[in-house]
Amino acid sequence: MTSKDTILEALKANSPAPVERGPLGFTPMTFQDPLAKFQENVVSIAAAKCFLLQDGESVDDIIRRVYPDAKRIASNLPEVTCATVNPDGLDDPRQLAGTDVGVVRGEFGVVENGAIWIPRAVRHKALMFISEALVILLDRRNIVNNMHEAYARPGFDDYEFGSFIAGPSKTADIEQALVIGAHGPRDVTVILL
Amino acid sequence: MSSHSKAAEKFIADRPRTDWHNQALWFVRQKRDNMARSIPEWEALREAAARTKMHTITHLAYYLEMFERNATANGIHVHWAKDALEHNETVYNILKEHGVKHLVKSKSMLAEECGLSPYLEERGIEAVESDLGERIMQLMHQPPSHIVLPAIHVKRQEVGELFERELGTEHGNSDPTYLTHAAREHLRDKFLHADAAMTGVNFAVASSGAFVVCTNEGNADMGTSFPKLHIAIMGLEKVIPDYDALAIYHRLLARSATGQHSTTYTSHYKRPVEGQEMHIVIVDNGRSKILGNPVHRNMLRCLRCGSCMNTCPVYRRSGGYSYSYFIPGPLGINLGMLADPKQYSGNVSACSLCMSCSNVCPVKIDLGEQIYSWRQELDTLGLANPVKKGIVKVLNTALGSPGMFHFCIKAGRLGEKISPRGLLYCGANAWGRSRELPEFTARTFEQIWKEELSSTASCNTETARKGSSTNI
Ligand code: SF4
Repeated sequence: MTSKDTILEALKANSPAPVERGPLGFTPMTFQDPLAKFQENVVSIAAAKCFLLQDGESVDDIIRRVYPDAKRIASNLPEVTCATVNPDGLDDPRQLAGTDVGVVRGEFGVVENGAIWIPRAVRHKALMFISEALVILLDRRNIVNNMHEAYARPGFDDYEFGSFIAGPSKTADIEQALVIGAHGPRDVTVILL
Repeated sequence: MSSHSKAAEKFIADRPRTDWHNQALWFVRQKRDNMARSIPEWEALREAAARTKMHTITHLAYYLEMFERNATANGIHVHWAKDALEHNETVYNILKEHGVKHLVKSKSMLAEECGLSPYLEERGIEAVESDLGERIMQLMHQPPSHIVLPAIHVKRQEVGELFERELGTEHGNSDPTYLTHAAREHLRDKFLHADAAMTGVNFAVASSGAFVVCTNEGNADMGTSFPKLHIAIMGLEKVIPDYDALAIYHRLLARSATGQHSTTYTSHYKRPVEGQEMHIVIVDNGRSKILGNPVHRNMLRCLRCGSCMNTCPVYRRSGGYSYSYFIPGPLGINLGMLADPKQYSGNVSACSLCMSCSNVCPVKIDLGEQIYSWRQELDTLGLANPVKKGIVKVLNTALGSPGMFHFCIKAGRLGEKISPRGLLYCGANAWGRSRELPEFTARTFEQIWKEELSSTASCNTETARKGSSTNI
C-alpha cells in the first residue's frame, strides 16, 4: 500500500459523522464610499503612498515625482514610458537585482485591508519583490469591500502566481519594533487610474 | 513540581525581563482585540470559521484527493508522507535529485515538527531560515520560542551582539531598523544564490489545487523567485474546500495572529512558472490518529495563528522554553499530549483554566477545556503526580464525614499555632514558596453562619419573596 492509501484509509476509518458546511451566517462589512476608504486604508493600514491620477497627468509624472533619484525602472507596461528596462527581456530573474522601481498592474483592491491582488503578468515574479520600490497601477473602478467579494470575483482563479500585497515589506521580529523594508520593497506607491 | 514549573523558575528569576516579555505579548493581544472590535461580524466570522473547519476535517480524505487532483493538473508534483521520517526522506530525495546544496526556507512549524533542518544538515545540505526571527534563532542555535514571533524573548541588545559576531554589524548598535537592514543584505545574498526554496503552507485550496503562503517580510516570495525548485510542505489539516472558505480564514488569520488587517503578502501558488519545478508534500505524522479522538480532534482546526499564546497568562510569564514540547502555550500543551503523553505531561499544569485561549481562538478550539480533560486523564494514563494523588486521598478522608471534617479543622488551627515556620514552609509546601499561607480566622464560617447569618438569611429570603409577590 502506498503512503497515500495508508493515510486516506486512516482518515476514512477515523472520520467522525460528517458536519454540514452551512451558510456563511452573516453579512460581511461594506463601506459607504469604497474608493475613498480604500485610498485611506492603503495609506493608514498598508503604509503605502496613494495617488488618484488627475486629468492631464501621466503615470510617468507621478513616478518621476515620487522617485526622482530612480535610475533603473523596470516595467513591461506600455503606459510606463519612463521604464529603463523591460524585465521580460531578461532571461535570469537575478538580473533584476538592483532595480530601483518596479511597476506592475494590480487587478483589484480590497477596502477592508488595503491590499491589492496582483496576478503575475511579468515573466519573473521577482520583480514584485526585489525592486527597492514597487509601483502598482490600479483601475479605480476595481475596488471590492472585503475578502468575500474578492475571492468571489468572476475569473479570480485564473492565475499562475498571485499575491495580495498590502504595502511595503515589513517585520517586527526585533522587540516588536515595526521596521519597513525587511526583504521586499521598502516603499510602495499605488496609482489609481 | 512539574517539568514546566521547574523550567519556568529559571525564566522568572529575572523579574524585569519577565515583565517585559509579558508586556510585549499583551501588546499583541491588545492589537488583536482592536481588530476584533473593528469588525462587526467578528463573532459570526469565528463561528463560520469553526464550522467550515469541522466540515473540512470530517471530509479530509475527500478534500485532500480533490486537492491532489487539481494540483497535479496544475503541474505541481504531490507527495504523501505518513510520518516525520518519510517527510524528511521525501524532501531530501527531491533535493538530492536536483543536486541542491543550499536551501532557503521560509518559516514552517511542520519542518520544526519533523526536525528537517538537522536531518538535511547531516546530509550536507545547508538550510537557511529567511524569516528574520527564525534567522536570529538559527544563528543563536536555539529553537523558536513562539510559533509566529520566534524571537519574542530576545532583546535588541542580544540581536545586536549576535549580528556583530555573525554579520559584522557595528559594535554597540542595537537599533532594530539598522539590524533588520543588515539582515536584509545578508539574506539577499542567500536568496540570490540558493539552489532551492522551501515554504510552508497556510492554506491548500482543494477546488483549485493552489496553496497560500502568508508573510509580512516577503521572504517566502523572495525565496521562491530565483531557484528552479520550490518544495512546499503541509500538514494534511491545511486543506480547505474552496475560495469561499479561504475568504473566512484570510480575514481571521493576521487579525488574530498579530493584530494586522492582513499580512503584507498573501501569496497564492497555483502553477510552476517557466522552467521551475514545484513539489508539495502532504504530511500525516499523527494527524489521522487525532481525527479518531473524539475529545481532542478539534485540534485539527488550528490555523497556527499563535493568539492562544499571546493571551495566555502562564505563557506570557514563563516563556516558550518552559514547555517541554516544541510548540508552547495552550496549543502546545494539547499537541504535546497528543504526540506523546508520557514525555509531555509536565506541561498540562501550565494552565490556570482562565479559558482566555478558548475565547480568542479564531476557529473556536476549546483549548482550555481540553487541557482540563487531559488532567482528568492523567491518572488513567498512569501519569498522575503521586504527591497530589496522596493529597487528594487525605482530603477525601478529611472531608468524608462531618465528624472528620470538624476534627480536621480543629487540628489545622492547632497545627498553625504550634508548628514552627520552618515546618509550615518546608520544601513540601510548593504553594507557600512564594506566598504566605492565609491565617485561620477566629471563627469558622460554620460558626458565623449558625450564630449570625442563618436568621438574617431567612429574613432576607422572606423579604425577597414578599417583594416579588407585590411586583407581580
Ligand atoms: S489553537 Fe486557535 S488560537 Fe491557538 S494557534 Fe491554533 S488557531 Fe490560533
